[in-house]
Amino acid sequence: MASKVVLRGIQEVKPILSVNKTESRRRALNLYRAWYRQLPYIVTNFHIPLTTTQCKSRLRSQFNKNKDLKDLRVIDMLVIKGQMELMETVNNWKQRNHVMQLFDDFSAASKSKDFLSKFYEGHEQ
Amino acid sequence: MASLAVRSWCAKRLLPMVIPSRSCSEIRSEGLSPIEWTEDTKNIVITPAEEAELRILVKETTDLSSLSGVPEEHIKTRHVRIFSPARNAMQSGSFNTNRWSIEFDNRERWENPCMGWVSTADPLSNLNVDFINAEDAATFCEKNGWSYYIEKKQVATFKPKSYGANFSWNKRTRLTTK
Amino acid sequence: MLRLWPIGRILGARTAAITAARGSSTGVTEKVEVFVDDKPVYVEPGTTVLQACAEAGVEIPRFCYHDRLSIAGNCRMCLVEVEKSPKPIASCAMPVMKGMRVKTDSPVTRKAREGVMEFLLMNHPLDCPICDQGGECDLQDQSMNFGSDRSRFTDINFTGKRAVEDKNVGPLIKTIMTRCIHCTRCIRFASEVAGVEDLGTTGRGGDMQVGTYVEKMFQSELSGNVIDLCPVGALTSKPYAFTARPWETRKVESVDVMDALGSNIVISTRTNEVMRILPRMNEEINEEWISDTTRFAYDGLKRQRLTSPFVKDESGNLVATSWEDAFIATAEKLSAVKGEDVAGIAGGLMDAEALVAFKDFLNKMGSEGLCTEEIFPGDGAGTDLRSNYLLNTKIAGVEEADIVLLVGTNPRFEAPLLNARMRKSWIHNDLKVAMVGSQVDLTYDYEHLGDSTQVLQEIANGSHPFCKELNKAKRPMVVVGSSALQRSDSGAIHAAVSLISQSVRANSSCDDNWKVLNVLQRVAGQVAALDLGFKAGVDHIRQNPPKVLYLLGADEGAITQEDLPKDCFVIYQGHHGDIGAAMADVVFPGAAYTEKDGTYVNTEGRAQQTRMAVTPPGLARNDWKIIRALSEIVGSPLPYDKLEDVQGRLCEVSPNLIKYGDAEEANYFKQAQELAQLTKGQLDNAPLQPDISILSDFYMTNSISRASPTMAKCVTATKEAAASKY
Repeated sequence: MASKVVLRGIQEVKPILSVNKTESRRRALNLYRAWYRQLPYIVTNFHIPLTTTQCKSRLRSQFNKNKDLKDLRVIDMLVIKGQMELMETVNNWKQRNHVMQLFDDFSAASKSKDFLSKFYEGHEQ
Repeated sequence: MASLAVRSWCAKRLLPMVIPSRSCSEIRSEGLSPIEWTEDTKNIVITPAEEAELRILVKETTDLSSLSGVPEEHIKTRHVRIFSPARNAMQSGSFNTNRWSIEFDNRERWENPCMGWVSTADPLSNLNVDFINAEDAATFCEKNGWSYYIEKKQVATFKPKSYGANFSWNKRTRLTTK
Repeated sequence: MLRLWPIGRILGARTAAITAARGSSTGVTEKVEVFVDDKPVYVEPGTTVLQACAEAGVEIPRFCYHDRLSIAGNCRMCLVEVEKSPKPIASCAMPVMKGMRVKTDSPVTRKAREGVMEFLLMNHPLDCPICDQGGECDLQDQSMNFGSDRSRFTDINFTGKRAVEDKNVGPLIKTIMTRCIHCTRCIRFASEVAGVEDLGTTGRGGDMQVGTYVEKMFQSELSGNVIDLCPVGALTSKPYAFTARPWETRKVESVDVMDALGSNIVISTRTNEVMRILPRMNEEINEEWISDTTRFAYDGLKRQRLTSPFVKDESGNLVATSWEDAFIATAEKLSAVKGEDVAGIAGGLMDAEALVAFKDFLNKMGSEGLCTEEIFPGDGAGTDLRSNYLLNTKIAGVEEADIVLLVGTNPRFEAPLLNARMRKSWIHNDLKVAMVGSQVDLTYDYEHLGDSTQVLQEIANGSHPFCKELNKAKRPMVVVGSSALQRSDSGAIHAAVSLISQSVRANSSCDDNWKVLNVLQRVAGQVAALDLGFKAGVDHIRQNPPKVLYLLGADEGAITQEDLPKDCFVIYQGHHGDIGAAMADVVFPGAAYTEKDGTYVNTEGRAQQTRMAVTPPGLARNDWKIIRALSEIVGSPLPYDKLEDVQGRLCEVSPNLIKYGDAEEANYFKQAQELAQLTKGQLDNAPLQPDISILSDFYMTNSISRASPTMAKCVTATKEAAASKY
């Protein structure tokens, strides 16, 4: 009975790629490494108005955003998407603005956060 | 063993990762392709039958909000109302009321000065998804990381009616001759 | 756990046996089996074929049949084939018989529908492109589905189609009578639901016309519903004429605030503008009708609006300014006075979110002077016990009641849909209604007991002959109107009503769970305000003149400039430039009920939420946000930034406020009555007189409807109609 309670809310599914946590972790780290090593070239090729260091910290925060994910399938999908992004970047299939979107967190930063300034700004919260 | 087999298979599937540009070939020459290869995984072949049987355990409710590509501000700040649409009071038909819909909190709209059309900055205001029942809608919202609430469906009560009531001699339901 | 379920099964078996026994003793008839398209359904004997088909999930096309009106059976669109019947039958009027086999999609049925449709269209104009019903027209849709694919009408050049002169029935309903298909829904609505026998037919056959016979206004507080009922474009909305099409509007499901019932509505919007308001079905509140103010007062939302903050300059004129400046001017005044010198008055259109923010804000400053404009007696248990100020029997309870005593209220204009329910109950359940208060037209017969408070006294002490009838009742209701409680002797009136209901409960054979005492509120925000602990009435402020007075949507003029000290600083927050804004030193523009997600508690104690359909105009902001922002300027910010936080706070104060859709039961009638007997006040000799006794007073009751040009037209038209000889 007790074991059933524990198992409630858990389901058996087909994996996408990884079958355990170590494997998915390795995939994520590999992807991170690939991006990290590619960054200097991306910065030069696309004339990104940021230093490589800035881009690296941005990359790190992008990965950190998903650090709490548990579902292996979700992690796999994110890795696959990340690889696609990388490939599109490296192959110059992307244009400058697309690449800039990856490193741009200015729009989020410029949005005011506190109640009063939002109140003065407009109707949206 | 199975895990190794899968890894090899996966690694093969990821082969398109090989990047042809100059800079990337440099990376590869350093032996740093995204998936690390080891000699023992390279040659293990996994049959389709084995692949079909592989299973992993995950939580029943999957949060796909990190995958959906929806900006964070439209996940954390939006509230979904799950409801069964009301019948249009102007018409008799009730077909549209047999489903469940989701609706986001309403955001600002304005008249576009160019054409007089309606504009909005809200990407979710035109998301129309229908569900068979409220639970499906709730699961959908959970998957997408939206907070939601379910509104009770209004059902008309059934009252037996009779044509004869128009002519009953001792009731107020009798119609006047007007 | 394991041990429990067999017991549960035994219990279940026992209850089943009991119900079976009960069934045989009262003679509950067995259900009849009928087959709809060979699918068996079981229905009560006496239901119609059309209803049986609806049970089976098959919708029969119809024009004249309507669930909430009597059966007419004259449009013939609902013809279906029944096995062993020589002709197709009109399913709306035919009762089911055992073993009946209905075919709703057989060739015979389809042929019959096609034929009916052909006859209907023969005399119907082809003006769909310029018809307001276009896009939501039953005739249009059904002719597409069931009509013929070609016309056999060849007479166009000879005699032409039937043409009928349009009627003028007032400023709300536009008539294009050529489009009429004589379904008589409007006639039945007027005579059955609205109780106004104005509409009828004249002539026969091709000369038949629906109308008022002589030109006169359709004088009813529910007249707008015939627009919804009309299956074609013969009756359309005059204010909405040619403004929008149904497919280009967005529909927002919301709640009305024009009266205290909280009718459910759908707001159609386009380009950030409310285009029209339609009813939404809710069996517990408004069935599927709404009153004319609910439906047509929306154009008041576009006029006389406050669109930017105002501050009074040296010469005494209000000057438009920015939020910062208005806040700073206010904060300077607020910080200069002590907390107890600040007072606040909440108006009747305020949502619970704004009210709780308002209360928290003033309480934080050290003020306890929070009042509502609407008066409610504070003697006895006052507003401490919820049962004292709610419509405890619920609106739907009227249909179960067998006798209703109205005290000083005119439900026809104070709560039109409650009155429609009473009329419905009067027709179908032989409800008996009696009234203490001045004689008004309620659209149904009632026993008028007199308008003096003496009568109330007599019923309370049991010497009145009507007490006998009350005590014979099984489900009595006593309804006192909030308008009767606006007098100086309100405490005594409430005590008398409370005594009457308690003695009726004791002397009659009513069920223990049946509630007798009912208070019919007039304004939408009052119950939430009382739930939150506002003082009802402005006596407190009259006795302790404040140095700063904060009016939160208070537009009824309960406090005037004369009641206040000369140097009193008045802040007004609200959506309309009405009485409140006229006396203010600072004006904050707020949001109307269509512009915010607000919680309103109706007179039954049912919490419901309005939804933001459009954004507030100009610089206007949501009301609780204004108070939250001001609290930050003053230096003691309220601890909520988001709507959920405010709702959390509401839940802390009173959890019923966010249980949307449910009416929270109130109790402690006995204790309330005992406390009420401690009131010392004496009943006045002035007769009990409801505020609104004639239709022309009904249209303008709050700041929104006062700003509405349509409502102004209605007032003029009803006054003219009253002067006309018909």
